Amino acid sequence: MKKTGNTIARVYGAILLFCCPLTAVIAADAQPVASVVQATTPSLAAGLDYERARWHPLHFKPAIDTATNEQCLSCHQEVLEPSVKTQSPAGVKSADALAWYQTLEVYTGEQETFHRRHLVTPLAQQVMDLKCNFCHQGNNPREEAPVPPTATTKEAGFTLRKMVDPEETCLRCHGRHPSELMGLPGPWEETREMMGNSCVTACHSGIRTVRHQVNFLKTEAIEKAGQDNSDTCFGCHGGRQWYRISYPYPRHAWPGMPAATPDWAKDRPTESDVRFRVSTPVATTTGSPASTEAAKSGDTKK
Amino acid sequence: MADTAATNTKDLSKIKEAIKRRKRETYTPVVPDSQLGFVHHNIDCIGCRACEIACKDKNGLPPGPRFRRVMYIEGGKFPEVFAYKVNMSCNHCAEPACLPTCPTGAIWKRKDNGVVDIDSTLCIGCRRCEAACPFGAPQFDPSDGLVKKCNMCIDELEAGRKPYCVMACMMRVLDIGPIDKIRAGTYETKAMGPGETTVRAIKNMANPELTNPSIAFVAHPKGKLGA
Repeated sequence: MKKTGNTIARVYGAILLFCCPLTAVIAADAQPVASVVQATTPSLAAGLDYERARWHPLHFKPAIDTATNEQCLSCHQEVLEPSVKTQSPAGVKSADALAWYQTLEVYTGEQETFHRRHLVTPLAQQVMDLKCNFCHQGNNPREEAPVPPTATTKEAGFTLRKMVDPEETCLRCHGRHPSELMGLPGPWEETREMMGNSCVTACHSGIRTVRHQVNFLKTEAIEKAGQDNSDTCFGCHGGRQWYRISYPYPRHAWPGMPAATPDWAKDRPTESDVRFRVSTPVATTTGSPASTEAAKSGDTKK
Repeated sequence: MADTAATNTKDLSKIKEAIKRRKRETYTPVVPDSQLGFVHHNIDCIGCRACEIACKDKNGLPPGPRFRRVMYIEGGKFPEVFAYKVNMSCNHCAEPACLPTCPTGAIWKRKDNGVVDIDSTLCIGCRRCEAACPFGAPQFDPSDGLVKKCNMCIDELEAGRKPYCVMACMMRVLDIGPIDKIRAGTYETKAMGPGETTVRAIKNMANPELTNPSIAFVAHPKGKLGA
């Protein structure tokens, strides 16, 4: 059948009508994103259809950078609900399961999902202050890939087939314990007794004294917990190691720091990422950093 | 009286067992005798998704979970536009991140060929493996609340055949083989043309240093790292 101009127009018209929700979102994307997010977020939980919700600007840069937990959880509240099965189909009971990393003294409680372990379980509430957008920096619901490709994974905020960039998120606390860089004679599991079973007393009372002063951790609580039990430290520095490399933490200066930078630290930043910085890191020589509130009030020991 | 004694004995054994279980454990990755891996030609892949469908068919997957995923990557400005495909499933990493997270031992690495296998009947649905994998391989199936993943069609491998995804690829751009030979260019495969070389990672792929994934790509020039 020969298509006339009118037929073609009707076909395109139908396509446009069909794509109306998408074009609306694209048009909306051209508006200042913050206003779109602000205007539509309260209605998210109130009944956007699935496709509109998936393409809501809040899921993409730049709006995702300022998304609050409340905004995210208004639709995704199920991530906080306990959902682990009491037993597997073959009859393995959750209560009987015990992974190697769950033999750490600070690992308590029942089997939980990763979202709950990072947001609501007792240890998470004690030492972490994670926001949804600490991990979730963007996504692509259609391709599960940054399109067009970006030069680095950090730029995109997520990686192929993944809604996060594990190198910038998970690796911070699930990397390898770099015992050889720290000058230990062997892995921590083998040398902990030799070091008096303490990270803080033995070495870290005076090294990296602005440690943990980032907005996704509870600085003082971590330092205290670390003094009480070295498993708190090891838990995030090798005790729950998923990856074969270590995270290259920033090399903040500390009093008495050697002038020469070792080779392994030459490419490292000397400050935390801008998005994680607290007002002014407070250096102490006691291993018990003053609070950031003290820093704000100018009462620092720097 | 006899009943009480029996109960006490039972309790003692339980206590001993509990003490034993609380003993600190460490994790040591399996080093396989040889490591199988995938090779994918990003440029010649036409994105027909036959591999995805064959995989879903073989594994009886409902809508939603996809063990294999073909991603369409496009970019540029006219007239300098480009498009290529990236095809990934489980990369059967040398040191998989999913494995150490599993509290029930449902995931394991095979010593003979390095395949990272899963027995989903042992899964309790905690989804930690899903979160830890840098390549999105473990897939949560909402229909039964379990995590499932590619096992490189281990039954096919053991029968001397290749996985369904490879067999379904009409362009022959996807193949498996010993990953060291694939990387060295010494493995005979139709997925690589004469003179073509492979790379370990392409743009926007998670850092391969995290787990050392067993995959190699014939990369599009625009997909190469640093391009």
